[in-house]
Amino acid sequence: MSWATMLTTMGEGMLRTSAIFFLTVLFSMPLGMIVMLLRRSRFSVVRWIMKIYIAVMRGTPLMLQLLAWYFGPYYLFGMSIRGYRFTAIIIGFTMNYAAYFAEIYRGGIEAIPNGQYEAADVLGYNKVQTFFKIILPQVIKTILPAITNEVITLVKDTSLAFALAYNEMFALAKQIAASQTSFTPYVVAGVFYFIANYLVAFIMERIEKAFDYYQ
Amino acid sequence: MNMKKTLCLVFALVMTLSLSACGGGSTTGGSASSSDAGNAKYVFLEEDLGVETYAIGFRLGDEELAKTVSGAVKALVLNGKFDEIAAKYPDIKDYLCLKAEDIDQSDIPAQGSGDSNYTFKHGFDLSYPPYSYLKEDGTVGGFDVEVCQAACEYLGWKYEAVPLNWEAKDMELNAGSCDCIWSGFTKEGREDKYTWGITYSNNTQGILVAADSGIKTLADLSGKVVGVQIDTSAAEMLEDSQADLAKTFSELKTYETYTVAYNDLKAGAIDAIAIDMTSGAYLIADES
Repeated sequence: MSWATMLTTMGEGMLRTSAIFFLTVLFSMPLGMIVMLLRRSRFSVVRWIMKIYIAVMRGTPLMLQLLAWYFGPYYLFGMSIRGYRFTAIIIGFTMNYAAYFAEIYRGGIEAIPNGQYEAADVLGYNKVQTFFKIILPQVIKTILPAITNEVITLVKDTSLAFALAYNEMFALAKQIAASQTSFTPYVVAGVFYFIANYLVAFIMERIEKAFDYYQ
Repeated sequence: MNMKKTLCLVFALVMTLSLSACGGGSTTGGSASSSDAGNAKYVFLEEDLGVETYAIGFRLGDEELAKTVSGAVKALVLNGKFDEIAAKYPDIKDYLCLKAEDIDQSDIPAQGSGDSNYTFKHGFDLSYPPYSYLKEDGTVGGFDVEVCQAACEYLGWKYEAVPLNWEAKDMELNAGSCDCIWSGFTKEGREDKYTWGITYSNNTQGILVAADSGIKTLADLSGKVVGVQIDTSAAEMLEDSQADLAKTFSELKTYETYTVAYNDLKAGAIDAIAIDMTSGAYLIADES
């Protein structure tokens, strides 16, 4: 197989990998926010449901969760799962990552000292204003490094989508490696991941800089 | 900032180099064997582990579909298309067991008799050359894929390739994401788990060793490390009919793919690989 073919084939895989990556980031970050708010809810039932959800998502392998999301509807309800593969992958990744993001957000919120709320109250901010104008900017600042970690992990976790026979980049690398009996595709995959993660780290560093006031 | 960029570059290089060193094998561990280039570096032991047959596996109860597809394959044997495809795959040609003169003429559907709106979903492992794999030009191919495509064309069906994660193949088949498993799929030991279509190949499971390893018989494998790919018939034989032999190994290592096992063999990390003869021949083709 020529270099050009290998790179084109793996490039197509990279597109499929990116599809998982961007959709997961897009859905799981806001969902994580909702999970976090419910996790801090006044109602203990809601709190407990979220606790169990987070425990399951973090406590079981993502690959297993993907299999469950995809095959679950068929085995539990006998539903047809034709054309559902990609949706199942996005649901699986989003639900899993939302749990992690929720805990990161919670860590950030709970790190804000009570004095900030009291000061805002004294200055006449209402609850919503306090959250968006005073608390949230500080939370984002604190949690950015943890978010970067999680997003980089996501780039590499996309390879788990092959559990559902989704031909993302790493699955293609494995297939080319088998047909060419060579390790070169793995090296190419490594370089692809590295560049992708370098970009993520670079962009996140820029965002961190943008939040770098009060210094 | 500049310092950091340089450091990053250095790390990237180190990573790439260390990875390719693993893969190269011959640049490190295999340097000794490069001296006897010209002879085969890797050979099969004369004793084998046993014979298996390859057939098409359908969902339990899909008798009608099994009969139709098998009939189409018979028709391909009779009209010469089967041999035409086989001629492209010299590694497996000798193992095929469908000959025009032995074909029983019953249950052969007429050409184009299938429903032209029906899509036949062919489930296979895309990392199992030469039966099903990613070809030089980056498209899906292999002996089983071509025969299946030809069978669909004969019947007038649409063909859909469904590459599977091999470990999840039963779930995919039962859930209906594919209609058959047809990818160098061994019948032995799975007789009751699928409705079987036509048997088209006999394959022998053997032991692949380095020619200069001094291992000549199965008994010589005592105390050696043997590699095998997960969920293959070779792996099943070593657990089942050849379990006593497997007990003599110092270790039976299970790999996700034979490619990695082969690199371990090249690097001298394992002593032998248990593999079927056709996949094995494909694996060592780069050394001959």
